[in-house]
Amino acid sequence: MSRARKVLDWLDERAGIYALWDQAANEPVPGGARLRYVFGSVLVYLFMQQVVLGIVLASYYSPSATDAWASVAHLQDQVTAGWFLRGLHGHGASAMVVVLVLHLVQVVWAGAYRKPRELNWWTGLAMGGLVFAFALTGYLLPWDQKGYWATQVATGILGSVPGGEPLRILLQGGHEYGNLTITRFFALHVFVLPGLLLLLLVAHIGLFRRHGVTPPAHLSESELARADRFIPHQIFYDVLAMAVTAGILVAWTIRSHGAELFAPAQPASNFPARPEWYFLFLFQLLKYFEGPLVLVGTVVIPGAATAFLVALPFLDRAQSRRPKERMPVLAGMGALLAGVVALGVAAKVEDAGDEAFQKALAEARAEAERARALAAGGVLPEGGEAVFRNDPQYEARRIYAERCAGCHGRFMEGGDDAPALVDFGSRAWLARLVRNPRAPEFFGKTEHDTMDPYSPEDLPDDQLAAVVEYIVSTMGDEIAPPADPALAAKGKKLWEDELECNSCHEIEAGAEGDGPNLYGHGTVAWIAGLIANPKDPRYFGEEAQMPAFGEKLDEAEIQALARLVAAQRASGAKAGASAGQHD
Amino acid sequence: MPHDRDDAPPAPEVPDAAGGPSAASGDVPRRRFLLGATGLLGAGVAAAAGVPIVGAAVYPLDHEVTSGGGDFIPAGPSGAFGDDPVRVDLHADRRDAWNRFEDVRVGSAWVLRLEGRLVAFSTVCPHLGCAIDYDPKARRFVCPCHNSVFELDGTVVEGPSPRPMDRLDVRQEEKLVQIRYQRFKQGVKEKVPL
Repeated sequence: MSRARKVLDWLDERAGIYALWDQAANEPVPGGARLRYVFGSVLVYLFMQQVVLGIVLASYYSPSATDAWASVAHLQDQVTAGWFLRGLHGHGASAMVVVLVLHLVQVVWAGAYRKPRELNWWTGLAMGGLVFAFALTGYLLPWDQKGYWATQVATGILGSVPGGEPLRILLQGGHEYGNLTITRFFALHVFVLPGLLLLLLVAHIGLFRRHGVTPPAHLSESELARADRFIPHQIFYDVLAMAVTAGILVAWTIRSHGAELFAPAQPASNFPARPEWYFLFLFQLLKYFEGPLVLVGTVVIPGAATAFLVALPFLDRAQSRRPKERMPVLAGMGALLAGVVALGVAAKVEDAGDEAFQKALAEARAEAERARALAAGGVLPEGGEAVFRNDPQYEARRIYAERCAGCHGRFMEGGDDAPALVDFGSRAWLARLVRNPRAPEFFGKTEHDTMDPYSPEDLPDDQLAAVVEYIVSTMGDEIAPPADPALAAKGKKLWEDELECNSCHEIEAGAEGDGPNLYGHGTVAWIAGLIANPKDPRYFGEEAQMPAFGEKLDEAEIQALARLVAAQRASGAKAGASAGQHD
Repeated sequence: MPHDRDDAPPAPEVPDAAGGPSAASGDVPRRRFLLGATGLLGAGVAAAAGVPIVGAAVYPLDHEVTSGGGDFIPAGPSGAFGDDPVRVDLHADRRDAWNRFEDVRVGSAWVLRLEGRLVAFSTVCPHLGCAIDYDPKARRFVCPCHNSVFELDGTVVEGPSPRPMDRLDVRQEEKLVQIRYQRFKQGVKEKVPL
């Protein structure tokens, strides 16, 4: 006797393992092993895989409103295979929903919900509900824009049903989303729901073993008498189906490069919130009901559909399991599924044709990409949103607030003795300046008063536009708007032959004059040079009032500030106001 | 029902993976094929998630998850240090997995002059990592956990510490003393940077 056999014998004497094995392995499958029986096993495999993947994810995840996003971004973009495992977990949930529906359809088709398998049916339905609860709670955990906003809708629905408000506050741990929301969802997702599902699964499988498979109704007594053993016949089909599922799941995960991770949750932002695809039918349903009828979409219709499923064993009055005799039940089930699919497709089609939604989604994806790139440098402990502080622009805003805002205004709107910077260097700005350089937004509050205003009588609008275009044409950097060459050429001619601008202003690179050299006026390089030393003869010379920052800030800081000022041109006055929002 | 369970324990049949006499249907080669195919497919299913899981699980083995210090950190003006040890906290930027921290305490050091030269010791005990105190009466360093006692030059007087206190690199720029903060492997005779 081999040593292994001895150990097994020793165990068998004490635990009866051979009998257990015999029970499990030699379970007869009446009517023979069939592919149509695989769905339950595939669901068990998917659930087990979710559990194992969930443990790995949990070992890299921090359930707090400040840490969650950064920890998921770290897992997604830094940890070996992190994106793949997270993707497998996310897509695994989708796969569970798909296989769940297939399992349900097979059970309904076979009439396996009928006596004596009602408890099987109900435990199965309850587990189906749990799968959706898993999806709902898991969606929030990354604390990204998508999860945050989609879950807001879900808890909002809960709060809007009669008596639902206290439940909503309990579930989200307060009146608003915060740390307690995430710890509660985490506890539900990781402890409560798996525990419940496992209990139901044990009951479900126990009941299944008690009653056995439900063979096709048309099999004769003699066909039923031909029974395969679970091992190796049915298990081969089961594992084959698992392998196919795993193959699809892996391919899907690689193709999509895992599950999406949007920018960190920002309660003050707009986000085109959409639930996961398997909730889209519910999402779509809500669009059709308004006012007091909202409850029809949130409670009445979903409740009626659930009641129909639960009551199915009683609604089915047919004499046998043959599908022909159960047409009303099958038709009801078919209508239900068709409704779900139609609503889901309608939601997709509506979004596909919605330009505003597509634009918002593209912007959200761009922001997500930026946030994740910035997260590579580590996220400050203040929280997910703090990732944007890694942005050099943020640093520039900080320096602006510290060094520049005192004179130029917190929102670049200008101060008591310095010009505004909003829209600095745009065509409109240049034109306004020529018309009235002594306006408060320009040099009105400074001592620079040597430049005279040019009225339309002195300088007609078309000539002004040409000169402005000539100045713009010297910018030639990536922020400058493309210059109109013909207009610029006209402006150049005016500049050289007719107007008096050139008596003060040079427009050759590097040349010095009484007024600032306008070559490349408004470019990052021009602005950076001014910030570094306004007293440089290319700028205001000795008359400059602004201090030179070349010795106070380093080159990178000056460049960042110059980019910030140059960016005010592209975004206009509105961006000027938002420049201070992070101060 | 197809299948009534017998409450009596079944006869102790010996399982046979390759399909022994207990096989009720199918010929032996077919059973063997099915079992083999099942095993292979099952291994594939397990590997699909299992292999990347191992990759993620061992990630900390070959990646620097935390970092901070490593560079010279300002510790104070040189005039602040004399023949009696002074404990200084060393601040630096720190990385910890997904977080970065600006200017946080990454560690501390005992700094003193030994025969006129500035010397810095890590406060981390080489034994098991407790923070070493200074006893001004005895003019010795003492670890409060397991009673290792060290001379002012860091050598072990008594106790379980396997090596002297860990010296940190010190340099002086103008009047500013700077210390390179490092952590070392604990519990071993050699001083090995982590």
